[in-house]
Amino acid sequence: MTALAREQWPATIGRVLASVAFVLVLWHLAALTVAGSYMLAGPVVVAQYLVENSSLIWRALVVTAQNAAWGFLAGNLAAIGLALIVLMIPQSRMLVASVALVVFCLPLVATGPVLRVLYGPGPGPQITLAALSVYYTTFIPLLVGLRAAPGNWFDMIRLYGRGAWSAFVHVRIMAAMPYLIAGLQVAAPAAFLGAMVGEFTGADRGLGVLTLRALRALNVEATWAIALVAASVSMVAYWAIGWLADRITPSRPEILLATTPAPVRGPMAQRALRALVLGLATTVIVVALWWLVMEAFSLNRFFAKRPDDIWHYLVTAPNATAHRAALWTASTATLVQVVPGYLAGLFLGAGLALLLALLPILAGGVLPVAIALRSVPIVTTAPLIVLALGRGAVGTITIVAVMTFFPALVACIQGLRQAPGQVLDLMRLYATNPLAQLWHAQIPAMLPAFFAAARLSVPAAILAVTVAEWLATGRGLGALMAMTASTSDYNLLWSAIVVVAVGAAFGYGLVGLIERLVLARVAPEQLRR
Amino acid sequence: MTYFDISRRHLLSMGLGGIGTLAFGARGLQAQPTQVALQLSWLHSVQFAGSYIADERGFWAERGLEVRLDAGGPNAPVEPPVVTGTALVGISAADYTAAAVQQGAPFRIIGVAMQNNPFAIASLPANPVNEPKDMEGKRIGMPLANMPVLRTLCTLNDVDIDKIEVIPTQYDPAPLVAGEVDCLLCWSTDLPVAMYVRGIESVTMLMADFGYTLHSQTYIATDDSLANRRAELVALMAGEVQGWDTYRADLDAATDLTLARFPDAGLDRPTQIEQARRQVPLMFSDLTDANGFGWWTDETVAQNIETLALLETPVEASLWDRSILEEVHG
Repeated sequence: MTALAREQWPATIGRVLASVAFVLVLWHLAALTVAGSYMLAGPVVVAQYLVENSSLIWRALVVTAQNAAWGFLAGNLAAIGLALIVLMIPQSRMLVASVALVVFCLPLVATGPVLRVLYGPGPGPQITLAALSVYYTTFIPLLVGLRAAPGNWFDMIRLYGRGAWSAFVHVRIMAAMPYLIAGLQVAAPAAFLGAMVGEFTGADRGLGVLTLRALRALNVEATWAIALVAASVSMVAYWAIGWLADRITPSRPEILLATTPAPVRGPMAQRALRALVLGLATTVIVVALWWLVMEAFSLNRFFAKRPDDIWHYLVTAPNATAHRAALWTASTATLVQVVPGYLAGLFLGAGLALLLALLPILAGGVLPVAIALRSVPIVTTAPLIVLALGRGAVGTITIVAVMTFFPALVACIQGLRQAPGQVLDLMRLYATNPLAQLWHAQIPAMLPAFFAAARLSVPAAILAVTVAEWLATGRGLGALMAMTASTSDYNLLWSAIVVVAVGAAFGYGLVGLIERLVLARVAPEQLRR
Repeated sequence: MTYFDISRRHLLSMGLGGIGTLAFGARGLQAQPTQVALQLSWLHSVQFAGSYIADERGFWAERGLEVRLDAGGPNAPVEPPVVTGTALVGISAADYTAAAVQQGAPFRIIGVAMQNNPFAIASLPANPVNEPKDMEGKRIGMPLANMPVLRTLCTLNDVDIDKIEVIPTQYDPAPLVAGEVDCLLCWSTDLPVAMYVRGIESVTMLMADFGYTLHSQTYIATDDSLANRRAELVALMAGEVQGWDTYRADLDAATDLTLARFPDAGLDRPTQIEQARRQVPLMFSDLTDANGFGWWTDETVAQNIETLALLETPVEASLWDRSILEEVHG
């Protein structure tokens, strides 16, 4: 197995080099086309800039990478901790996931300044934002992974008279590994982006600081050089995690065809009641956390509004109607851009994963390009996408799609690999054509991972749209939140945060509902508790 | 000075043992400078060179103050750290401060670094905006947060704002250069400088020349600090005044000092020296020549109040408190 993998190395390297060359040529041509517009610098001038400013870029990279690494570590440890809590207390699954989701959905535009006031000067906000950007994208795949073990493995453990601990060590960890790796790989670029955005809250140095400077100074070479460095680091981290994973679990367990237990189903009314209780419990916990954190740090009421301030602002204040109308206008403006972008990114990601399954020869070439697209920090790509596609809906939709696309692609590639070997062997034995294999074996195996990606993409899409609105288009909720920096209207800011969090939780719930309906049909073993 | 102090204390502690250390340790504590913070409104650059000079030349140290300069950024508001006391003084602007006061922040303006507002309309010579009327029929790029600024400029100059197409953009001159917009609403010391350094000629219409009178880069402090931490405020502002006077005397030295102090900030000399030059006429005027850096009169405050009323953030003249500056210059 390992020897074989080693023999394939030259071929892999060849494919990677070929795709890098392809990207460079495309890039150069694109730069020639828009020459003089100060939007895109070609590979030659970028390389020149990197050589001339190598020590500056290196020092900035070290700072940002360090913060991203600490955030990556903290965020992923938190994710593993949360997943273990859920495993030990299965009843808490929905509640923990909902609260974790709400915290993950707190928009960077709003949390950044609050963290800066909390921490004062230093790398605190950068590290925290990096951690906040990754913990959820590791937590959700891990939850799926810990449940992705076939039921008869657990039967086996019970047959041998062993307990939950053995099941955990021998079955769950092994089953969860591929999912954890998928999560960690997505987390690497996200941590980097989080650390860069964290620098916007007032930092002395780092790649985020240099990006801002380059954008303002019309220094296109620098903008693209920084984007290239950030993308490269993210890609190297992605590969390194994959490489390490191959060393740790050289032979991933073959997944046996699982038995199909009857899915958990109650009467409609009972399920609706359960959803209602969950929603209420989540609201109570989040509101309590909100209050507690602010009181514990005794945050000043001028900018750290409490739940009752927001209630007053939106409901009991004399001009509450006007406040609600302003929020409603911004929310609908955001919604019409985030939904199409989200769906497009998700289905393009899944579609590409399927294409790669049919034509594995492309995988080596497409994956680095896809990772590059996602790893280029949104703060540098947003203006370019907007120039190419306009400041209207299309530009923002594309930014959201790019942000959603990559997690979907990675998760689906991992999911496709979960197709049971015996089933595929049997199909190959009968010379089943690849499309039929895909339809009958691989897609059903992929769906749990696809839905995990769909769920974790809800907050990612909202993050993307608010950042794009903030940095490029100046419309919608993102712009509304950014405006508080000049108006000090922190009631409006916190109301917008509430809207974003509620909207994300609602979207998450909707995806979860669709997931249950689909999985009940094609992969019911996933619904077992 | 400090070095000598430490080495003497060190020597004595070695010679006299524990008691000596205790005694001189206590003395050392007494001589320790008071630590305060100044919250800047943007990333480090020559925009705050006067403060760097004050720090490096010891203008604060000789007044018993150690000032930490906290960088700002696009997502780093100035007002909250000042409200919470993380920073003793913040660098805000009259309109930001007025909005914060409207939201209940207990601020006073204690100094005005920019007498003239730096907001400008930048355009290209082929399609110039020389006066506000020229904006009609044109596309303007600006952050939507600045809509009140544009509206006020239009009201002041009888320009029909509905005839201007507003295109939301952010910290970036590229949309103008790429022809996506005809003009930009920006700081005269900012995007026009970037274009100048890149060899792109531009036309800059300073809004202050067309009635937009608004103090910018204002020093703000809370009522509480004004009542209880006066000595520190006076020392901080005295250092600022001395720093900015030194800055004006030698822009090259000020720029070099900024570049040397922040080697990792990605600053380049041509941009910084040009920005340093362009902000001089905004910061220094006949008024400051006569009364000193940071000064204002009842007359300029009245003009500010008028502009602020148009911006829908009405304020009282008592928002400005000159007592600290009077102590500094008096």
